[in-house]
Amino acid sequence: MPRARELLAIPARSSTWQRYAYLVVGAALVPPYGTLAGFVAPALEGGLGATAAWGLAIVVCAVVLPIATGMLPAVRELEIGAARRLLGVGIADLQTLDAKTSWPTRWRSAAWFVTHLVIGGVIGSVTVVLPPALVSACFAPFESGDVQLGRLDATVPGGPGSAWIVPLALLSPLALIYIAAAAGALLSWLSPRLLGPSPTERLAAAQRQAMRLAERNRLARELHDSVGHALSIVTVQAGAAERVLDNDPVFVRDALTNIQTSARNGLRDLDHVLGLLRDDVVSRAPTPTLADLRQLIDSSRSASIDITAELTGQFDDVPQAVSCEAFRIVQESLTNAARHAGRAPVSLRLKVGADELELELTNPLNGNHPRHAGGGRGLDGIRERVMSLRGDVSAGADSGQWRIAVRLPLRPPP
Amino acid sequence: MTLGVLLVDDEPLIRSGLRAIINAEPDLAVIGEAEDGASVTSLARRLRPDIVLMDVRMPIIDGIEATRRLLANLDDPPRVLVLTTFENDDYVFDALRAGASGFLLKRARPDEVIRAIRLLAAGESLLFPTAIRELAARCSPAETPARGLDAAGLTDREAEVLRLVAQGLSNAEIASQLIVSLETVKSHVAHVLTKLDARDRTQAVIRAYESGFIIPR
Repeated sequence: MPRARELLAIPARSSTWQRYAYLVVGAALVPPYGTLAGFVAPALEGGLGATAAWGLAIVVCAVVLPIATGMLPAVRELEIGAARRLLGVGIADLQTLDAKTSWPTRWRSAAWFVTHLVIGGVIGSVTVVLPPALVSACFAPFESGDVQLGRLDATVPGGPGSAWIVPLALLSPLALIYIAAAAGALLSWLSPRLLGPSPTERLAAAQRQAMRLAERNRLARELHDSVGHALSIVTVQAGAAERVLDNDPVFVRDALTNIQTSARNGLRDLDHVLGLLRDDVVSRAPTPTLADLRQLIDSSRSASIDITAELTGQFDDVPQAVSCEAFRIVQESLTNAARHAGRAPVSLRLKVGADELELELTNPLNGNHPRHAGGGRGLDGIRERVMSLRGDVSAGADSGQWRIAVRLPLRPPP
Repeated sequence: MTLGVLLVDDEPLIRSGLRAIINAEPDLAVIGEAEDGASVTSLARRLRPDIVLMDVRMPIIDGIEATRRLLANLDDPPRVLVLTTFENDDYVFDALRAGASGFLLKRARPDEVIRAIRLLAAGESLLFPTAIRELAARCSPAETPARGLDAAGLTDREAEVLRLVAQGLSNAEIASQLIVSLETVKSHVAHVLTKLDARDRTQAVIRAYESGFIIPR
């Protein structure tokens, strides 16, 4: 009978005692509220009368305050930590502290906190009251008068007639352990529901994760394209130079120049990617969004890039993912423009409409704009970002101007 | 007889380096260059190269699509050697599936480049059998029937030869292993290619992996 064996094993399990400890922690949180009620009620008694004063004090101190405490995000974090450690339950960790805790989540936390206090309080008080009551009950058959049970306001008659009470008293601690185990199981069942992330938080976490992955893929692609490309040129040119060393000194000289240039470009790109990785690791700064666009434009201007910006629409209404990507696209376009067109003036137009975001960046071609993929490597990154949001991008020379136009839908297609 | 090579890469410096390496060999010559995949078919029709060195990632039309078009539109198409920056590039296998005969890393040493071109032109051995095995291991054989080569009706000897080809053995090595003449091996290989409708050894081996006839590792 495995079921019975499982039941018998409950008091021997360490999880039972850890859950018991969690309940006792809940009990330990009760007295401060009680003490406070004890201070507040007498102060109010003069004005309201005893009944109203105590009623008000109990409602405020024993109901409103615990609920308010439970709503604090930090208390939620503490409860999650304790529940994980002592209840042994898995609660998804979604870094709720740095996200704004939503009200439904706060209410669920409050419900948890109050439940913890109430169930913990009951189990905790019984734990404290039971042992002395039990000891006095055991002496009852040998006494002549009524016997008070510990400090409880209850008595049993003394004398041999009360012998039945001895085995009952001895069994009661065991019963308490089972009751505590049941309460612990109830809390374990309840904890993921009340302490776990809400669907909104799960969605936000999944989006964050997707964005991190996209960012990593982009960095990998960037390394592949820039550094891989540069090193390939270096290898091929060096191999060729060695091959024709005796017969074609002109080629060899050109090859050495090409090797220098490519290696230098590769290092510059490596610097850029490593910079991004370092920023990501060190600062963990929130991902910039369109709200940071002004700052980007200002800092580009102070790096003496001449930008004319025309920004229209409500940036606050743009979904987070679109906003981040749009910022990055502008950032990359500006970097590309600076790299290829030098200090030529850049014109940026960004319009947030009802359904879509339009972005256009133009700068005059100064003749050395590369028409090969070498100049399009930055463009690949932009294309990838736009594709991931199901937008459109077009880029190329257009009547003496280099023009990149991006359109991003603000809402996913139905 | 000189082997004619067509270079297709969007990076002029890769082309100039490869051109110098190839032209330094008396029996090889670069007879044409293209900077994207769009002009490859017409150039190949006009210049009749033996080998096309094809970059994968190019603007307008990439190397995979260019390979597909080249093989579809020419009666006696040249062998395609795909150029790649990294070995574990998904594009490489796509290019091989599109019909390329082999691939070459851009970081290959000059003598490896030369060897690869000659090997491909001769068609008697497989280029980078290990890498092809690894690439094939990543493909999904689920889309093809498990014993897909049954229909090809290979004889036991032909199946044995195909397995040895997949291990990267050359015709001469297969001949010495099976203790038969080189001519016999050549005729077995020719039969295998015909029965599998494969252009060359690489394509035959890819088909063998894809059909589950050979299980990687």
